Amino acid sequence: MKLHFLKSKEKRNLIEELEKIYGITELPYLLLETGKQKIRGFSGHLSKEEIVQLTRLTNVEIIGAYLINKKDEEARISFDAIQLFKEKITKNIIEINNQQLQLWLRGYDLEIRAPRGIIILKHQEDFVGIGKSNTEKIFNYVPKERKLKTKIS
Amino acid sequence: MKPLFKQRMETLLPDKEDFEKYNKIIHIGPESFIRCNTIKIPIEKLLSKLKKKWNVVQPFSNYPEIMLVNQNLEPGELGNSLEHTLGYYYIQEISSMLPPLALDPKPNELILDLCASPGSKTSQIAMYMQNQGTIIANDLNIGRIKILSTNLEKCGVTNAIITRKDAIGLCASLSKSTFPKFDKILVDAPCSGEGTLRSSPKTFLMWNPKLIKKFSRQQKTFVAFALKCLKKGGTLVYSTCTHAPEENEEVVDFALKNFPVKIEKISLPLKTRQGITSWNNKSYHNDVKHSCRIYPQDNNSEGFFVAKMTLLEEVK
Repeated sequence: MKLHFLKSKEKRNLIEELEKIYGITELPYLLLETGKQKIRGFSGHLSKEEIVQLTRLTNVEIIGAYLINKKDEEARISFDAIQLFKEKITKNIIEINNQQLQLWLRGYDLEIRAPRGIIILKHQEDFVGIGKSNTEKIFNYVPKERKLKTKIS
Repeated sequence: MKPLFKQRMETLLPDKEDFEKYNKIIHIGPESFIRCNTIKIPIEKLLSKLKKKWNVVQPFSNYPEIMLVNQNLEPGELGNSLEHTLGYYYIQEISSMLPPLALDPKPNELILDLCASPGSKTSQIAMYMQNQGTIIANDLNIGRIKILSTNLEKCGVTNAIITRKDAIGLCASLSKSTFPKFDKILVDAPCSGEGTLRSSPKTFLMWNPKLIKKFSRQQKTFVAFALKCLKKGGTLVYSTCTHAPEENEEVVDFALKNFPVKIEKISLPLKTRQGITSWNNKSYHNDVKHSCRIYPQDNNSEGFFVAKMTLLEEVK
């Protein structure tokens, strides 16, 4: 596994971007960039050197959790990282109702007017995903394997 | 039930009534246990959400994260809820939650989960570690690694490193290097699966005495190599989901007779029976009795085996 630990400056730039979009002001993780511009965060106590040593001893497949996708213009938080950051997200949140939630979790885009760009969807007290708005519609980014397969009751 | 399997279980459960209870319950599906994933949601919040749709109880006061959905459910109902999609709970049979409880992980420890996939126990360990410290979660097969990775991601586990290597090769490489020794190791070993008949009835058909011997040899090697990676005073929990003594007490006996280990008594929230000290004309070390046998008829659970060892001197 090729390791690219984010340097302090890269981390600072990323946090600045996250603050602008989400209001997130800290990332208490060792950050690594893996393929396809995905940023993973590791909260463990092993040092960088120990991690590098481990990669020499065995096949390291995954380190920490997938947090952020930098592929698009704006840094997009992953579906599961939203839960990890929920106390820190303060911007671009839109509340959806129960009917919209049922559609959203099944992978449908939502016809909701919202400012252009990344939108965090909230249902009651739960953060239920991330989408992208073109001002007319919020495009669905629920990962395929996490979409509900049941019919709407 | 194959005749030889029946005969072996009758030997393990000599009381006729006890065996009848066992033979009855293994044909009934298991109860619906879930584990609150406290990485993502506090226990009380999840409980209040779930109680709106199901009859949910917390059977063990010391382990409020363990919940039982005490009602009939539609197929797939537990897996299709909003709370499950968001990773608020993990569907996990109660007996499978026992090895991490025996391991008793703490934040800031270095822990090796040697045969980690599908990740139920790894995510439970990460939860007790509050995503601090480090878990090395290993498995061999790339398909199983993908399942492990998906499950850890869903649970919000950020303190794990997933490695892919055969268990012996990994331990050999680690023990020969200057990589830190582990505080705790879980060897939840591949086994013949006799304890999983309730959720996986195909085990009735696949059961084979030759497999038991093969697994037993492999399990002893896993434990021997894992002990080399453990620090002095460290803990190794050995577990299987089978009743076969060759894969359970015989492995613990092997560890006791060949390595500087001590078997610890374990307190678990289920009724357990002590390990047996003889089987098929073989006598085991007397301390093997501190191991825990979990029978389905005792707790309305699956069958399991758990043993906890402390390493007294580092193994070279």
